[in-house]
Amino acid sequence: MSIKIALAGNPNSGKTTLFNALTGANQFVGNWPGVTVEKKEGRLKGHSDVTIVDLPGVYSLSPYTLEEVVARNFLLGETPDVILNIIDGTNLERNLYLTTQLMELGIPMLLAVNMMDIVEKNGDSMDLKKLSSAIGCPVFAVSALKGRGIKQAAEKAVSLAGTAAPKPPAFSAQTETYLSVIKERLQGHVPPQQFRFYAVKLFERDDKLTGNLPNVSDIITKAEEKTKEDAESIITNERYDFITSVLRGTVKKKNRYALSVSDRIDRVVTNRILALPIFAVVMFFVYFLSVTTVGTWATDWANDGLFGDGFSLLGLWVPGIPVLIENALTAMHTADWLQSLILDGIVAGVGAVLGFVPQMLVLFLLLAILEACGYMARIAFIMDRIFRRFGLSGKSFIPMLIGTGCGVPGVMASRTIENDRDRKMTIMTTTFIPCSAKLPIIALIAGAIFGGAWWVAPSAYFVGIAAIVISGIILKKTRMFSGDPAPFVMELPAYHIPTVSNVLRSMWERGWSFIKKAGTIILLSTIFIWFTSNFGFTEDGFGMVDDLSDGLLSMIGRGFAWLFAPLGWGDWKSAVAAITGLVAKENVVGTFGILYGFAEVAEDGSEIWQSLAAAYSAPAAYSFLVFNLLCAPCFAAMGAIRREMNSARWTWFALGYQTVFAYLTALCINQFGSLFLYGSFGFGTVAAILVLAGGIYLLCRPYRQSQTLHTPRSVQRI
Amino acid sequence: MPLSMAQMGENKTILKITGRDDIRQHLYHLGFAEGETVVVVSNRGGNLIVHVKDARIAIDRAMANRILV
Repeated sequence: MSIKIALAGNPNSGKTTLFNALTGANQFVGNWPGVTVEKKEGRLKGHSDVTIVDLPGVYSLSPYTLEEVVARNFLLGETPDVILNIIDGTNLERNLYLTTQLMELGIPMLLAVNMMDIVEKNGDSMDLKKLSSAIGCPVFAVSALKGRGIKQAAEKAVSLAGTAAPKPPAFSAQTETYLSVIKERLQGHVPPQQFRFYAVKLFERDDKLTGNLPNVSDIITKAEEKTKEDAESIITNERYDFITSVLRGTVKKKNRYALSVSDRIDRVVTNRILALPIFAVVMFFVYFLSVTTVGTWATDWANDGLFGDGFSLLGLWVPGIPVLIENALTAMHTADWLQSLILDGIVAGVGAVLGFVPQMLVLFLLLAILEACGYMARIAFIMDRIFRRFGLSGKSFIPMLIGTGCGVPGVMASRTIENDRDRKMTIMTTTFIPCSAKLPIIALIAGAIFGGAWWVAPSAYFVGIAAIVISGIILKKTRMFSGDPAPFVMELPAYHIPTVSNVLRSMWERGWSFIKKAGTIILLSTIFIWFTSNFGFTEDGFGMVDDLSDGLLSMIGRGFAWLFAPLGWGDWKSAVAAITGLVAKENVVGTFGILYGFAEVAEDGSEIWQSLAAAYSAPAAYSFLVFNLLCAPCFAAMGAIRREMNSARWTWFALGYQTVFAYLTALCINQFGSLFLYGSFGFGTVAAILVLAGGIYLLCRPYRQSQTLHTPRSVQRI
Repeated sequence: MPLSMAQMGENKTILKITGRDDIRQHLYHLGFAEGETVVVVSNRGGNLIVHVKDARIAIDRAMANRILV
């Protein structure tokens, strides 16, 4: 018999840590509410028939945000055999609020009280035996991080399958009378074990319950008239009363409001004056380290050494991979075309991308530290005031920050945003921030055209942020997005020092998926590009061409390259590179590697730069960079947008908006750049002036009034 | 008075949360129940970090104005 155990609990209570410990999985554990937005399954170690499901953290079973819907749908729809309710012992009272609701689901349950070590360190004490008898289900003290007590808890959970569910918390006699009337009406509508849950939810006027449910408004009205309170408050108070009675004699607290270390840190980092400068320094440090210093040393070594000529190791000359492969291929007397495919195609394309792995690893490491220490939630809080000015909430900043690593989890992180409009706007703008796959493009343009100027990389982030701000203001003034963002409410977890294994695990996982991508999708793309660029129709019919500009790809590229002429890069190579970037952004560099002959010039890796520099003017190069940063993201991120928008129309609108925005911005950069640098004036310049005027109009027109003060709920019906 | 005007570090008791919508219910779930004691830990131009039921919750000024203490 297979058993399904659901891990449920408040955000940040340690569910994912416990999940990893129980299943041996390697899920990243972040220190901010909303790390897990999708449920994850794994097998319990030592029990091949027991599945553990890690659910997103919830505060209650009345979902407020989208990821809470995931948890509730699972608990109600897929009815697990046992619920393992993990509880943060340092915040017992609030955590038990969810417990009172889980007890109503009619599913056997046990409690795992986590972080007991901190409770004891605070000088508090807890009588878990009393707690267990008051609640009516087994209670275990565990330390998910240190793995203490988890085995016993898991064994107990397995043995609970098929046993009786705990008795739901008893409310006052009067409330119980109302609920029992509702229960009678529920006969035949829902399974009997869920009567209690549905009765309470109907009484609370939960508007996200669907299905054929009886009307109980007469009972609610009667109750509200009698108590002079609304039904929601009646139930909330009943729950907190129950918790108070449970905790009486169970918990001894020493000193409740002592200022903790976290509070002291918060006083500084959220300080009115210091908050923004501190944030700026932290972010500058992260990107400077990964893009400019440590990352570049490593990347230079990888590009010029490992994937170039070779490098010197302790005085010993180690040849680079292309040299080794070339020697091997020559020794084997392989056919010329095969040698070309491997060296000019695969090594040039994939190698150009793999060379950036060290830089990515540094960025991923720093982002993981940022996520794991607890600063992430503070950033949302600090940025809220600023973001609110252009129509986004501070919570939109988390997806963007994660998006600097990769756009896919960035877009998914938007689920923690409560308001539907805010969420859609965040999804549309998150990928404007340069993700790690765009770093190679930035590095290529910075190195080739701008002589490695220090300002190019930071300016790319600045362009991304500016695009978000401008889009926020423009979109907020349309009818679709009018209205204030949802009020900001977010729990701030205690700071803690990230564990080395957790951070390294995250770095490795993200880095590995980057390497895997290079070995699969980018490998295929480079083979495709090599083939289509090296083969074409010549006088002798179809065959290999001597000059790439006779190839098929060149023919196709020329077909649409004119589109990009106003942007300054109307040649077919750039057009093809930009299009292949839609598959994966790393492809842009990979394509350049093939088309400009990266491998052939491997003795001097920077030779591709010279040929690139010759092909581009400075404004055109920057316009190319900006277009690739802002236009529709890669296939994977487009898929994420499609999933999160859950509507084809909205997906196309988002992708179309991004691409048009990118095109017009790049147009302005090239045209104005050429005008100021070279004094060239033409039809394109007029077009750019018109675009700029239109943009300024859209930015400055007045806000539309929202029709309703009520903010629509983002959560879907279940 | 609204919570946004409370002094940092002072214990305050929640009297009422005004308005009637999802956000108020979300606040209940987070521990902002009537009669509960709260302490403002940090005040950033009306945006607050508040201690309630051993949790540290950040709320913006609009929300803080709706919590009467």
